[in-house]
Amino acid sequence: MRHLERIDNYPTHNYQGLKLRRGHALPFGATLVPGGGINFSIYSKHAEDCELVLFEKGAKEPFAVIPFPDEFRIGDVFTMVVFDLDYENLEYGYRMDGPYDPQNGHVFDKNKILLDPYAKAIGGREVWGEKPDEDDPFQHRSQIVNDDFDWQGETPLEKDMEDLIIYEAHVRGFTRHESSDVKHPGTFAAIREKIPYLKELGVNCIELLPIFEFDEFENSRISPETGERLLNYWGYSSVGFFAPKAGYAATGNYGMEVDELKNLIKELHENDIEVILDVVFNHTAEGNERGPYISYKGIDNKTYYLLTPGGYYYNFSGCGNTLNCNHPVVRNMILDCLRYWASEYHIDGFRFDLASILSRDQQGRPLPNPPIIESLAHDPILGKCKLIAEAWDAGGLYQVGSFPSWGRWAEWNGEYRDSIRKFIKGNGDVAGEIVQRIEGSPDIYGDRGPTASINFITCHDGFTLKDLVSYNNKHNKANGENNLDGTTNNNSWNCGEEGPTDNSQVQQLRIKQIKNAITLLMLSRGIPMILSGDEFANTQFGNNNAYCQDNEISWLNWDLLEENQEIFNYFKSIIEFRKEHPVLTTDHYDTDYNQTGYPEISWHGLELWDFDPSESTLTMAVLFASPAVKYDTDNDQFIYAAINMHWEMHGFELPNLPEGKKWHIVANTGIEFPEDIWEADKQPEVDNQNEVLVSSRSIILLVAK
Amino acid sequence: MEIKIRRQGKIKIIQLIGDLDGNSAPEVREEIISHIDSNTKLVFDMKKCEYISSAGLRVLLIIAKKLKSVGGKGVLAGLVDEVKDVMEITGFSHMLSSYPTIDQAINSL
Repeated sequence: MRHLERIDNYPTHNYQGLKLRRGHALPFGATLVPGGGINFSIYSKHAEDCELVLFEKGAKEPFAVIPFPDEFRIGDVFTMVVFDLDYENLEYGYRMDGPYDPQNGHVFDKNKILLDPYAKAIGGREVWGEKPDEDDPFQHRSQIVNDDFDWQGETPLEKDMEDLIIYEAHVRGFTRHESSDVKHPGTFAAIREKIPYLKELGVNCIELLPIFEFDEFENSRISPETGERLLNYWGYSSVGFFAPKAGYAATGNYGMEVDELKNLIKELHENDIEVILDVVFNHTAEGNERGPYISYKGIDNKTYYLLTPGGYYYNFSGCGNTLNCNHPVVRNMILDCLRYWASEYHIDGFRFDLASILSRDQQGRPLPNPPIIESLAHDPILGKCKLIAEAWDAGGLYQVGSFPSWGRWAEWNGEYRDSIRKFIKGNGDVAGEIVQRIEGSPDIYGDRGPTASINFITCHDGFTLKDLVSYNNKHNKANGENNLDGTTNNNSWNCGEEGPTDNSQVQQLRIKQIKNAITLLMLSRGIPMILSGDEFANTQFGNNNAYCQDNEISWLNWDLLEENQEIFNYFKSIIEFRKEHPVLTTDHYDTDYNQTGYPEISWHGLELWDFDPSESTLTMAVLFASPAVKYDTDNDQFIYAAINMHWEMHGFELPNLPEGKKWHIVANTGIEFPEDIWEADKQPEVDNQNEVLVSSRSIILLVAK
Repeated sequence: MEIKIRRQGKIKIIQLIGDLDGNSAPEVREEIISHIDSNTKLVFDMKKCEYISSAGLRVLLIIAKKLKSVGGKGVLAGLVDEVKDVMEITGFSHMLSSYPTIDQAINSL
């Protein structure tokens, strides 16, 4: 049957030459409709009047301002179809009139031109770092996209959570440095060029720091070191939730950031790499009472923000305002947003920045069963998406282990980071915690399983791994706050000298400590996450809060990859080792005796079984025994790791193996390349099958063959 | 945008001159689709098309799909570097093969 045209594809009204009709309330936002029209729909409960303001792309003055006729309002929604617009060359905003009564939460200003909260693309910052015209009253401009990307049959990967190895990266910082050797540095397109590299490293999931449109010019501080203006480089400050950051696209000035990002995701998927987005729903870029009108506060301040009884912004985010996430309207917007990213962009998962804010009610109190968290957990479209919480906020909520999960939510395990850091630097008091962390943190996620735990030692927030072993103290002067910003709780150790050094002993120790860290991470049950650049010892020169540094402090220096091949090779090999040993990546906490005749996980000291987790120690060993039948491997697997974080060498007694099997060396962090780690078919047999000598601050990793 | 069409044997060579954007895309689409029937072979001479917008790329994609559905074939010739780059980055390059010159494009058909 041939398609029949809709019978409502014609205008009913005319306003100054523009043809209009009443629109459809759903979907919100601006949508192309058959017949050459654009359907505009926007919610505001408290606005009394609304105007649609239309611009040609980049124009300072609108070419049309169309008041919504009364009969175009449905409930609290203003709707309108405008015909015959060139959608590609169009930018639009709204002006809302309503009460100005801050004490009661209303701050309407009919002169402000406001971004559509559902804008799928946003103009105004198309080219990263290009200084905006600050006199322009419409800074962040809603645009219209055609969501018809040709995926050619590609779908999200839906990997099992336990198989993930996450690589956390900043879109711009990943390839902006001139050493990155890509055609369009600092863009989505450039990540495409690095796909072979990611595959070689062996990671299978890239987690991108925020890519929702934000304003890099939000920061007004000046660097005291260079005199240059600092930017909001990380982008934890959403301008719009539905639009990708245009300045991250090589084709942003063509308005093609949507296609560019989708094409990147498609190619990552074709290469078996999932994509997780770091999403920021806890606050917006509108700041506090003194912040700019961008969208939400001018559209319906009282709906979108958590306000004190006096009408001020609650600041649980530490960034001026707090999104009112459990208001039904805002909740639906978040849901619409994530559904959009999952269905239209094929995103595999989301990591929620300061997710604990999502568990607060409309007065800011923590809820036992937060509706938004529950909705996301049970949403049909998000049914296979990974949901990961940063389970704390800046208002004092700390919910690691207790974030409401409905069996769906995982968490950034801050305890993992802290325990491992302490142990590596030589604090034996955490030995008992190390047992828990390597077993997948059953003490924290007992009823949820190890896949609830995102294990990480470093992330964008804090020291890089190289800096963790090179600095005792943060060095944040360049951030313009007199080194007062950034955490002091780093649990770092500089290995004897602060910062870069020519002392080869210190350098060697740092390499060893880096290898120790990644070895423990890859041996631990739970989901490992690596900070991009750690695999070649990238440094931020001691800056542990580089949110504003759009320069060599934050940009990955790819020259270091060549310089530190030894570390890259170690990362690559130990990742491969993890993938070959399913006992490490399982989704349960089994430690008891199994079909091998051994306990699945057992803990030892310098002598077998001589380990008391309640005592402080820097020497411990773990034996994994994994039955072939249970883990679907060719043979039973035995892994033994002798962990010596003491500053002296120690001998470790080796466990007996079943008849015919011998211990072979996988890795020894105490030895330099190329004998630090071995490929599976080249692993040498251990000379003395009864004991290994582990040098100071080193790990020896063995397997049975 | 100007559209010039000439024949070389069984092949139609379509020259697009100017910008292929939201304004010109509907016209280009209509004009070219009208030249497509079964087994049509098209070469798009793109060397005088310096800008293709998102809507323009979509028109090329629609033409490519139409050609495929009727057993025809189309190829691009002489894409300017920037346009080629945008097509590559945004994933539109898979839809039509591209050749540096018209002769090479004709030979491929």
